[in-house]
Amino acid sequence: MDKDGEIVLTDAAKRFGAYTALHPTNLVISRGQSVLLVGANGAGKSTLLRLVAGLSRPSDGEVQINGHDLQDAPEARSAIGLLSHQTLLYDELTARENLRFFAQLYGLHNVQERLDEALAEARLDDRQHHRVSSFSRGMKQRLALARATLHRPSILLLDEPFTGLDTGSATALRQFLHLFRGNGGTCILVTHRLDEADGLVDRLLVLERGHLRLDQALSSDLDQLYAHCAPYLDSAL
Amino acid sequence: MRSTLVSYVLFAAMLIALAAVFLWVPTEKEMGIIQRIFYFHVPSAMSAFLAFFLVFIGSIQYLRTREEKWDRLALSAAELGVMFGLIVLITGPLWAKPVWGVYWRWEPRLTSMLITFTIYVAYLMVRDYGAQASQAPRLGAVMGILAFANVPLVYYAVDLWSADQQLHPPRNVGLEPTMEYAKWICYATFFLLLFHLVAQRMELARIESAVVRLRQKLDDA
Amino acid sequence: MSFIGRALAILRKDLQAEWRTKERLSPMVFFTLLVLLVFNFSFELGGAALREIGPGVLWSSYVFASLLGLGRSFADEHENDALDALLLAPGDHGAIYLGKMVGNLVFLLAIELLSLHFFALFFNLSLGFFLVPLLAVFVLGSACLASVGTLFAAMSNNMRLRELLLPLLLLPMIMPALISCVAATKIVLANGHFTELLPHMQMLGVYAVVFTVLSLMLFEYAIEE
Repeated sequence: MDKDGEIVLTDAAKRFGAYTALHPTNLVISRGQSVLLVGANGAGKSTLLRLVAGLSRPSDGEVQINGHDLQDAPEARSAIGLLSHQTLLYDELTARENLRFFAQLYGLHNVQERLDEALAEARLDDRQHHRVSSFSRGMKQRLALARATLHRPSILLLDEPFTGLDTGSATALRQFLHLFRGNGGTCILVTHRLDEADGLVDRLLVLERGHLRLDQALSSDLDQLYAHCAPYLDSAL
Repeated sequence: MRSTLVSYVLFAAMLIALAAVFLWVPTEKEMGIIQRIFYFHVPSAMSAFLAFFLVFIGSIQYLRTREEKWDRLALSAAELGVMFGLIVLITGPLWAKPVWGVYWRWEPRLTSMLITFTIYVAYLMVRDYGAQASQAPRLGAVMGILAFANVPLVYYAVDLWSADQQLHPPRNVGLEPTMEYAKWICYATFFLLLFHLVAQRMELARIESAVVRLRQKLDDA
Repeated sequence: MSFIGRALAILRKDLQAEWRTKERLSPMVFFTLLVLLVFNFSFELGGAALREIGPGVLWSSYVFASLLGLGRSFADEHENDALDALLLAPGDHGAIYLGKMVGNLVFLLAIELLSLHFFALFFNLSLGFFLVPLLAVFVLGSACLASVGTLFAAMSNNMRLRELLLPLLLLPMIMPALISCVAATKIVLANGHFTELLPHMQMLGVYAVVFTVLSLMLFEYAIEE
């Protein structure tokens, strides 16, 4: 179990035709680390995140999650949860139906209790039989978080999760991430708004044009974050 | 160097084949001079199928190894298969007009060739117009495998559909010995032509992708 | 969870969403009706010509409607990037193909059976028990369409010009199945003998099995990034 929550990239690269989105990258993220991933648009943040999620196949090298190569061990994907700015939900199904569907896909046990619990955590128990299309952005994102963590992943990947959230929902998400971190979860957070990451991360990765330019530990201090990232973010901000 | 040598051999083979077809073999009794188109029609059909088989091999190997050379083989062979298929579809009606009285009959072998031809034209179109450069080899490989699996089914279905309209001779019709030799000379020449053109086209594709890569590097720098 | 279990979960989810919106079924049935009208005015279908070209008309309209329906079969998955969530779930991605393929088979059968009534009404065909073999033709024919159709729908969703490309991909590939569907339907409508029907049914069965198995194997490559 010591590998639970560990991410290892060995010379992992991603090319799209002649275009290289991510140059060969070596990276070890160990259990319990919270990593902030920043870079300008097109720097390869999403590419890296999708490689780690197994949604994208490395053109070269290898991505291992908990000691398994995702391309050979499709079951290893169950360690991963993904929350993005898209909801990854079905608008025509109710909140409960959405969660039940994903519970089935993950082969969870005690589905009813797990759904009750997840819906209560997302503060959606009173709206669980309403269709997602009638939800506000904040409600959708709370449900998306419930979906992403339904199977209790040890690794959480977040792609611009704060986009379009109201203050209340953003605070709830931050609280959840604190809790997730406290419980020893591994987390990669992609965001272009550094203030959102304040206090949530302990390591900083900076990508520029598909190269990993900076990798260092951080005390969770906002000023320090800005100082480190500023040279790489000018073009994006 | 090697390809120049092959060009010379091919040129000689073509001269021999032409001499065999037009000077050596006797004229067929019933159909007359037009029957000589047989020596282009049938080898073209065989070359087309050989090319489609190469697409299949290239596609499987690409998915297994992800080496671009296999994709180049599949793409090049598909283009040439379509070209040889077109020769079949042109020489067929030319032969049919004097013998059957019309250019086109929905006769099973010709119909099957037409359908097979459209499958590979679609393959080329989808690769050209639909797929981004990064997806084309992978999606092309998927199509190349499905397309080849479909070829026997096309022939079977069309045979069922029009069993009574079969106008082609049965497959093992006895040919006069010189005709038999000339046929094999033509087969050899057409296959050599196919391999030579596939090799040339693959080399061209390799250079194309090298140029794209260089340009990308310049943009990055 | 088992492979079949996950395929069933996806099938159930698709049917549930479709039952609620009917956004595929209603337009497809109406479209089939319109195509039948077009054919009617093109060919003067009443009377003697019916048995001769009726089966072709029927299957042409089914094929065109299926192009519309298949093209939409991954639309829900792309709306909120839900496909990512499906792909993230553990296990073989072939289960996604299988669930979607069976879902498409059900949709195609539904429009075929619904629009058969228009066909019977307009072209003075009495529906009866002699049409039971027709059901088998519909099931096999739809399985053929759904087998390659589902794979191509998944592929064309990531392509430029996808509305144009799906027909380009699918129509030539489906040709052998279409030939046998029309021939088999003709035999059933003419009250033909079972032995005449059998080779065509075998052809459809072989086609459906070959392409379902191949698509299951190739689906991973068709959707990878």
